[in-house]
Amino acid sequence: MLLNSACGFGSIALASILGSGKSTFASETANPLARHPPHFTPRAKRIIFLFMWGGPSHVDLFDPKPALNEQAGNAFSSQPDEQTARKRPANLLPSPFQFAQHGDSGVWISELFPNLSTHADRLCIIRSLHTEGSAHGEALLRLHTGQANLVRPSVGAWVSYGLGCENENLPAFITISPPRGHGGVQNYGSAFLPSIHQGTAIGSAETPIAKAKISHVGNTKIVPSLQRQQLDLVQAINAMHLQNAQSDPAIEGLIANYELAFRMQSALPHVMNLEDETNETKSLYGIGNEKTDNFGRQCLLARKFAESGVRYIQVSTDYTWDHHKGLKNGLIDECAKVDRPITGLLTDLARRGLLEDTLVVWGAEFGRTPTAENGDGRNHHPQAFTMWMAGGGVRGGLTYGATDEFGFKPVENPVHMHDLHANLLYALGMDHKRLTFRYAGRDFRLTDVHGNVVPALWS
Amino acid sequence: MGEYSFPASHLPRGILTIVSSQLSIFRRRFCLAGLLVAFVGNLGFASADETVGSSDGHDYFEKYIRPLFAQHCYPCHSSKSGKRENNLALDSKLDWLKGGDQGPAIEPGSPEKSLLVRAVRYADPGLQMPPSKALSNEQIQRLEEWIRRGAIAPDPTSSRMDSSPSDPESGKRYWAFMPLSKAEIPVDLNANLFNATDALIQQKRHTMHLSPVRLASKSNLIRRVSIQLTGLPPTAEQVHEFLEDETPQAYEQLVESLLASPRFGERWGRHWLDLARYADSNGLDENFLFREAWRYRNWVIQAINQDLPFDEFVLMQIAGDLLPFDTIEQRDRQRIAAGFLLVGPKVLLGNDERNQRMEIADEQIDTIGKTFLGQSLGCARCHDHKFDPVPTADYYALAGIFASTRVMERRYMLGEQRVMERLVGLGPDGEQLDEAYEEYWRNQPKLKADKKKADTLLELLKKDSEEDFLKALPDAGVAVADAAKDATKSREERIAAQQAVVQELSMKLTAPAIPPRAMIPADIEEPKDEQIRISGQFDRLGAQVPRGFLCVLQDEPTSGIPSNESGRKSLARWLVDADQRSGQLTARVIANRVWYHLMGRGIVRTVDNFGRTGEPPTHPELLDYLAREFVESGWSLKHLVKQIVLSSTFQLSCDRIDENQQIDPDNRFFWRGNRRRMDPETFRDCLLMAADQLSLSWVGSTVSYLGDQATAVGPNKVRRRTDFPCRSLYLPIIRNDLPEIFDILDFANPHMTTGMRPTTNVPLQGLFFLNEDMIMEHSKATALRVINSAPTGDRAGLVRRLFHEIVGESPSEEEERMLSKAWMQWENTFRAEGTMDPETHSLSLVCHALFASSRFQYVE
Repeated sequence: MLLNSACGFGSIALASILGSGKSTFASETANPLARHPPHFTPRAKRIIFLFMWGGPSHVDLFDPKPALNEQAGNAFSSQPDEQTARKRPANLLPSPFQFAQHGDSGVWISELFPNLSTHADRLCIIRSLHTEGSAHGEALLRLHTGQANLVRPSVGAWVSYGLGCENENLPAFITISPPRGHGGVQNYGSAFLPSIHQGTAIGSAETPIAKAKISHVGNTKIVPSLQRQQLDLVQAINAMHLQNAQSDPAIEGLIANYELAFRMQSALPHVMNLEDETNETKSLYGIGNEKTDNFGRQCLLARKFAESGVRYIQVSTDYTWDHHKGLKNGLIDECAKVDRPITGLLTDLARRGLLEDTLVVWGAEFGRTPTAENGDGRNHHPQAFTMWMAGGGVRGGLTYGATDEFGFKPVENPVHMHDLHANLLYALGMDHKRLTFRYAGRDFRLTDVHGNVVPALWS
Repeated sequence: MGEYSFPASHLPRGILTIVSSQLSIFRRRFCLAGLLVAFVGNLGFASADETVGSSDGHDYFEKYIRPLFAQHCYPCHSSKSGKRENNLALDSKLDWLKGGDQGPAIEPGSPEKSLLVRAVRYADPGLQMPPSKALSNEQIQRLEEWIRRGAIAPDPTSSRMDSSPSDPESGKRYWAFMPLSKAEIPVDLNANLFNATDALIQQKRHTMHLSPVRLASKSNLIRRVSIQLTGLPPTAEQVHEFLEDETPQAYEQLVESLLASPRFGERWGRHWLDLARYADSNGLDENFLFREAWRYRNWVIQAINQDLPFDEFVLMQIAGDLLPFDTIEQRDRQRIAAGFLLVGPKVLLGNDERNQRMEIADEQIDTIGKTFLGQSLGCARCHDHKFDPVPTADYYALAGIFASTRVMERRYMLGEQRVMERLVGLGPDGEQLDEAYEEYWRNQPKLKADKKKADTLLELLKKDSEEDFLKALPDAGVAVADAAKDATKSREERIAAQQAVVQELSMKLTAPAIPPRAMIPADIEEPKDEQIRISGQFDRLGAQVPRGFLCVLQDEPTSGIPSNESGRKSLARWLVDADQRSGQLTARVIANRVWYHLMGRGIVRTVDNFGRTGEPPTHPELLDYLAREFVESGWSLKHLVKQIVLSSTFQLSCDRIDENQQIDPDNRFFWRGNRRRMDPETFRDCLLMAADQLSLSWVGSTVSYLGDQATAVGPNKVRRRTDFPCRSLYLPIIRNDLPEIFDILDFANPHMTTGMRPTTNVPLQGLFFLNEDMIMEHSKATALRVINSAPTGDRAGLVRRLFHEIVGESPSEEEERMLSKAWMQWENTFRAEGTMDPETHSLSLVCHALFASSRFQYVE
């Protein structure tokens, strides 16, 4: 492409350097995102993580607790352990919502997810998640990077580093509408991993996705054909520089990069264009309906990236799940925004044959207290909460782990955040203990010294 | 607390070392014990273990059993805690096989027969352990499983303990901790060996059969040295003058003038700020703004411009608030310097206060360890260092110093009282102004309430509703005037009196301006020693260690820290005491940093890691020579820089020699110059300079317009700006929200000490160069400037000049032809399209292409 370009500034110079007239040059320089083989046969090729920023209440959505309603208003005496001792004593808050069993498997789902319930037998519901960090910032960082007080690579960056991308024109890790606060870019950062593994952000949580774009993809002033000519000039100058330097890997890398950048720039808008999707598909995701339009677009975008070979796609809601008060109406509202889009995503992935190797994960930084805050809300609760997974080799219709009668602590098969991370890598065919990076004199990994794969979750 | 603590708090440190090494092998958060297995294998110091049993068994013990014993059993059953109740200790295999008064505690392979299992199961009312509270089921199962597997554990008496990598005594023989050597300088300096540096470099080259390339051209050299010393390219006049000046002193004079330029402090101050993990916001979880951090930044720049001796530079940054002063200005300068300790990132919310204190100390220790000593001291927080001679006791000796230092205070921030970095007022009445300001915010909620009450009362008086007025009186407090209460007075009088109260409260409610303040530490009132935290957990207390430094770098056993001081002054002096090995190591580390910045590769390549996992120096004699030069010049940074840039080694071209390439492809022996990509600051500064948009005037805060939450959750209409015409180092460094150009071009991660920025080559950079508005705007400005200043008609001359100004060299014929052709072709295109001013427009595209090219971005 470089040599055949019509404009021809210095293409002779470039050709003479490269010897033959064949443009193998750019592709020969190692692409850091080239596909790497996993450690073992993967269950999934990619992950879509649906992040509910703020912390949805597990006891109102996936972990029904009749005792909460029976003992509503009773003062709750928790064990005097470190984390809870500092919390003010409070009264149990009943759930205002009905639960029912769904599917052949009979998993319990709250009435707030009527659409999602139709996929009940696909869901693997983990009720025994637990983590540290009773403030959002710390908990977000732990969810996304495993650490809060040190800057560490995010899950997606590790995945990108471990597997590369299936599509040579796209980044391996894309984050749609990421939060800007609570750690911000650190939540999709690459830390000490090469920066190409950082998540490519599309928009940010507070902006409607329809208006979002990836920065520096596309030029506001120079039309593409002219830009190609300009890039040819840049490359010709580079090539002459390279010739004078008698080879220099850095300049070679720069030349290769410009080509990859240009290819990405052509590929990304195409993937991001939702207009060539059918109306049926759009409505499947709730696009066009005011309440579900935004999250629907995000989910559809996620499917398109998944289809295009991106390895790790995160979709984030705005900071809307933090129901310190007005839990009832808040949850009704938030669930209504995501129920149909998520259901649409699962349906769409399934009918395209993508769900079998795409792992969809739903969750947040923590859950919420069984007790009341401000009368009708719930406080942050890292000690126990629920996440679910679907597709990608996961055991559907399974409810794993259990919390005590109030949903306060895991009492059966606890799954720590580090365990979750170990499992995500496992799904992609990677051993979390072997995926390491040497930095500052020692090997680092996503799960630090922790993390256990839970075989029961996987079919 | 029932935790494992040692009564033996005055044991010599060496003994504590061994004790703590046994206890704290199990790490919780910071390091990778799991990966240690792999490391240990690599380094080959685990062989002792292999003879004892399978390493699997050891893992199990270290992971599950040792921590359990340490927490629940050792307080009463360990020879190290001094308690062997019922004559039972559980320190080693021997101990539990022998057992106590009731017989053997453990029967390897048979949990059912083991007394210990019976005790922890709480089944036997006469034998229940631990007595206070039963273990969890999980713990009991772990114990049973361990015993079932044969109760395998490492033997503490094996030789491994003696050869422990964390042993400070044997560590003294490691090269970095040895005294500075005095190199013999080979004397055969010749035309190509300008000074001792060259001679030492040549010595190594010679043994490697490497001959250096020729010297760089004068035009390359002036661009190189200008950018290295000031971060800016030379002006056209400077280039002209230098090229014309053929006297032998021309280069030295150029170097002198660059060293004297205020731009030097900006360039080299920024190098320091990378190490100081400088930022204008807190980062991590709650990204609160550091409104006053810029004062520290500017202090650094000024100190480097004045060539403040490095030992004083260090002393002020670690203990500036404790130093004597003659004037308020001096006091404030010294205090501002100590902001070094405060500008680090901290987890602010949901963090136990005791934990936060240890976390902050850890961050400070980590920064200081890396910056000055090239040591990763943070590793010794949870256990003795796995590779370097730093026992946990040393870590907590340092932690005592920083835990005795106050860096946080409760003050007003973002609408409420929070625990935040300490601020102190500047100037003669600064402390009072600061106090008044804080007092206002402390009182503001009450004032507001009072004002509201006063308003209501006034209304009631005006409405003449005496009954309601009286009802409201009981909780009126200061919100009512005495005269207003006095029913004997006339209504007008009462209203007037109440109006006066309302007015007074309104006045009091006027928020005072933020007084001039800076981030400044202080010693706590009663400095005290810290206790070892077992496994690094803040609430698991071990033995207390006296405040002090690293044993491996001390010849005297005591640190001499006065009991009423935190010890920061002593620490700072120790770090730069050239008579001690500590100061000599610091000199090495800093000399290596300076060399790295100038040459593109450190003598110790791992500039922040002089430990065993780092790389050894390629030129140990040169490193020690430079360190000595540095110390003997009175710790003059400028002197050191000058020595290096005057060497012929610095002045080599980037040419290649094939034979050399075979022997030393990475140029470890400096036979050629390293071609280097511009950092983002240089890129932007050079761009702005070409466009004539760069302002070199004094810059204060570039974050004053920001709210307290630097990157707010939710919409944020005032994200940090980058459109200031100042040099890039003054742009806002908001953690997690850096200016895009910084993020993309590998700026230092301001969360941590960065001695060596990464150099990545990724497509996002390509997209940035091609599409960034700022680059296009400045390309246009450059084009306009050049067109306006050149005689019309001479397009070839204009292209040559443009190239020269941007790249610093004349274009080759081919380059000139390509640029002219592109310009003409695009101009024709724009003309045909009817674009306004096609000449400038098309030349902008040419400028843009040059800025995007390797010729501009790589410094020869």
